[in-house]
Amino acid sequence: MAHQAHAYHMVDPSPWPLTGAVGALLLTSGLAVWFHFHSTILLSLGLILLLLTMYQWWRDIIREGTFQGHHTPPVQKGLRFGMILFITSEVFFFLGFFWAFYHSSLAPTPELGGCWPPTGITTLDPFEVPLLNTAVLLASGVTVTWAHHSIMEGEREQAIHSLTLTILLGFYFTFLQAMEYYEAPFTIADGVYGSTFFVATGFHGLHVIIGSTFLAVCLLRQVQYHFTSGHHFGFEAAAWYWHFVDVVWLFLYISIYWWGS
Amino acid sequence: MYYKFSGFTQKLTGSAPAAAYSPQGLRPGVPAEAPAMIFASPTKLASEAGTVVEYMGANRVPDLQRIFQVSDGLPIHLKRGYPDRLLYRTTMALTVGGALYCLVALYIACQPRNK
Repeated sequence: MAHQAHAYHMVDPSPWPLTGAVGALLLTSGLAVWFHFHSTILLSLGLILLLLTMYQWWRDIIREGTFQGHHTPPVQKGLRFGMILFITSEVFFFLGFFWAFYHSSLAPTPELGGCWPPTGITTLDPFEVPLLNTAVLLASGVTVTWAHHSIMEGEREQAIHSLTLTILLGFYFTFLQAMEYYEAPFTIADGVYGSTFFVATGFHGLHVIIGSTFLAVCLLRQVQYHFTSGHHFGFEAAAWYWHFVDVVWLFLYISIYWWGS
Repeated sequence: MYYKFSGFTQKLTGSAPAAAYSPQGLRPGVPAEAPAMIFASPTKLASEAGTVVEYMGANRVPDLQRIFQVSDGLPIHLKRGYPDRLLYRTTMALTVGGALYCLVALYIACQPRNK
């Protein structure tokens, strides 16, 4: 190991930023080629490359932190800032879709019948499956907090149980939402109501899947003894992300499902 | 006027005489060694030896720490040897091949369509 007179982490040269960038290029070009030439080769290649990049990059971060000890307090502080900034950028991402929803729903045009929900749209009952989804995500917020406290107190078995429960609740939400999508009386093509509904809830669902995956990786790491009672930032980052996903759902529920029905 | 050192603002602040007469002392320094890491609390009941799932596999982190801290000059993404190399080469092949294929596809896409 090189001897350095500071606590920061000078990373080894890594190929993953390059492979990730090329993956993004292939994804975007692949999308265009799919639209115009009906070929999905480029798109699939881009997706595979992105998945390989993510797996190896994050695997390397775990190696650097857990196995090589590079995640000193100043380094961890930087990681915390990074995660907070990333989540903030995601907040702004969703803000845009909420803006679009409120733009269309606060002043419904004559083409919609001058009312919201627009004429002809049968909305989903907010007190049926959407309310259950709200309960499921709120419960998962409780279980992830339980998992955090279990890790901090060195309760290995409880941490594994509560983290597993959190992930299962996340899967349950995704399953319920998929059923709702299948059974919905309107589609994404049904005017601005359909567009705002499915784009906002669709991106939220994608983030639930991402969050569940992050938590699943944390579960794997917890089983493999990576987390200690005093140092488990990977889990904390996953928990922050999960709480963010939960809060976005609450806003979605209040705005689109409840007020918008 | 009596003063005390406020741990919150890291400045001197006014205080009552009673507080000023009880010295706060120096802030305890950062411990020279990291506190002992706790991976799991000790098994509480003998009957819990039956729960194989949670305790599946012993703690391999110290072994992995030894492997990854070997001074062999290998970068982190190749430190494990053969499996790392295989995955890296596959990824790089897809990267280079994919980039070239993408440029060709974009070149073709740029050609005007003959009606």
